[in-house]
Amino acid sequence: MEEEFEPNIIGFLCNWCSYAGADLAGTSRIQYPPNVKIIKVMCSGRINPMYVINALQQGADGVLIGGCHPGDCHYNHGNYLARRRISIMKKLLEYMGIEPERVRMTWVSAAEGIKFADVVREVTEDIRKLGPMTKIRRKNAWQTIET
Amino acid sequence: MADNRNLINAAKEIVSREDVKYIIGYKRGTYGFQIMPAFAYNSKDVEGFIFSPLCAKNLTVYPMLEEKLPLKRGEEEDKRKVGIVVKGCDSRAIAQIIQEKGLKREDVVLIGIPCRGVIDSKKLEKMFPKQTELADLEEDEEGNYIITTNKTHKVPKTELISDVCRSCEYPNPVIYDVLIGEKIEDFKIENFERVENLENKSLEERWKYWENHFEKCIRCYACREACPLCYCKECMVDLLEPQWVRRSVDLSENTAWNVMRAFHLAGRCISCGECERACPVNIPLMELNKFIEKEVKEMFDYTSGIDTEEKPLLGMFKPDDPEDFVL
Repeated sequence: MEEEFEPNIIGFLCNWCSYAGADLAGTSRIQYPPNVKIIKVMCSGRINPMYVINALQQGADGVLIGGCHPGDCHYNHGNYLARRRISIMKKLLEYMGIEPERVRMTWVSAAEGIKFADVVREVTEDIRKLGPMTKIRRKNAWQTIET
Repeated sequence: MADNRNLINAAKEIVSREDVKYIIGYKRGTYGFQIMPAFAYNSKDVEGFIFSPLCAKNLTVYPMLEEKLPLKRGEEEDKRKVGIVVKGCDSRAIAQIIQEKGLKREDVVLIGIPCRGVIDSKKLEKMFPKQTELADLEEDEEGNYIITTNKTHKVPKTELISDVCRSCEYPNPVIYDVLIGEKIEDFKIENFERVENLENKSLEERWKYWENHFEKCIRCYACREACPLCYCKECMVDLLEPQWVRRSVDLSENTAWNVMRAFHLAGRCISCGECERACPVNIPLMELNKFIEKEVKEMFDYTSGIDTEEKPLLGMFKPDDPEDFVL
C-alpha cells in the first residue's frame, strides 16, 4: 500500500503575534493539520531569505512565514521589511521555476487562533497538491546508501 | 584618437595632484583584443591609457578590493583619493556603493566617459578565433565597428555589442568629476525582452532551463569577485558556522548559491554585466539580475545607483507596498 504524501512545512512565526496566535489555536483546542513545524523567531524581519532556501534544501516541502499585521509590529516596522524581502524572493523563485506556492506569508495576530488554523489548513492542502519538493533537495550521501 | 588624448591629459592633471594616490584606467593588453586594467601612479604611467568599445571591465571593483593593512604605531592612514575611469554603468556602481556607505564621495575622483556600449569578448572570440597578434577595434559614426587585424573589417555594432549594453539606460556617467567628450543620448535597443522571453514559458520549462545552467556551475565565485557590489568582508557563502551553502558542487548547492547571489543584489545590481562576463561556464546570470531589476521597478518604483542620498531598497519600506501574496 502506497503511503499518502504528508507535506513537511516549516513555519517561521514571529514571537509577538503569529506564535501567540498559534498558541491560542492550541489552547482553544482548534484542530489543524500537524504538518507545520514551527520555528519561533523574534520578528518576521529576522527571517533571512536564506532560511527559506535552506529549509527547502533540507527537506521542507513548503515554508510558511508569519508576522504581525502591518502597523502592529512589536519593533515598529520589521514586518514591512520582511514583506519587501519575501515578495522579491517569491518572484525570484517563481522565475527560476520553483513553485511560488511553496513559500507563503501570512499576517496572524495574537488573537487570531482561528485564522492561524485556517491558514495552516490551506497551505497544507496546497502543498499536498504540489507534491514533494525535489528540485533543490540536498542529496546526502548517507541517505542514498540507505535506500 | 582625440578622445584618448583628452583622457590622458585629464588623467595626467589628476594623477599629479597631491591628494590622489593612483588612477585606475584601461591600457592595451599584450595580445589580440586584450585590454587590461592599468594602475597609474605618476603622469608617465598615464600615457598608455585608452578607451574603446573593448574596455568592458568594470574598474570600480578595485577600490573595494584593496587590502587595508592594520596601521603600525605612529603611522597615519593614507587618506589620498583613488582615481577611476568610469563608464555610465561603472559610475552607477560607485553611486550605489556611496549610497550604502561603502565608500565616501571624497574617497574617489571619477573620470567619466560617455559610453556607446562595449563589445562582448565571447562574441568577438567567435568571430576572430585565435587572434594572437595585436588588433584594434573602434566605432565609427554610423554604428559599425572598424576592426583592424591584418586587414580592416567592418562589422555592424549589433553583432558584437554586449547583451547588457543593449538595454543600457544610462550611457552617461551619473556622477563624475571630469567628463571626457560630450554626453550622448541613450541608444537602448531593447528593454527586458530577454527576461520576458523566459517569463512567458511554463514553470517546468523555466526550471529545466535553470537546472541545465546551474548544473554547469563550478562555484568558482568569479561572479562574486568580479562584481563591484559584492564587497562584503565575509561572504555568507564562505561562512562555516552556520554553513549556509555547502561546498559540494551539486545542483542543490549551486541553486542555493545562485539564488543567494541574485537576491543579495536585489535593488543594488547596476547591470554592468561583469558577472556574466566573468562566468567561465556561461551561465546567463544577468537574466536573474535583470529580472529582479524589472520586478523592483514595477513593485517599488526603485532604480539602483542613481541617487547617492537615497536609502537602500531593502532598508526602507512604504506602508502601501504590494502585499497581494500575503494570506
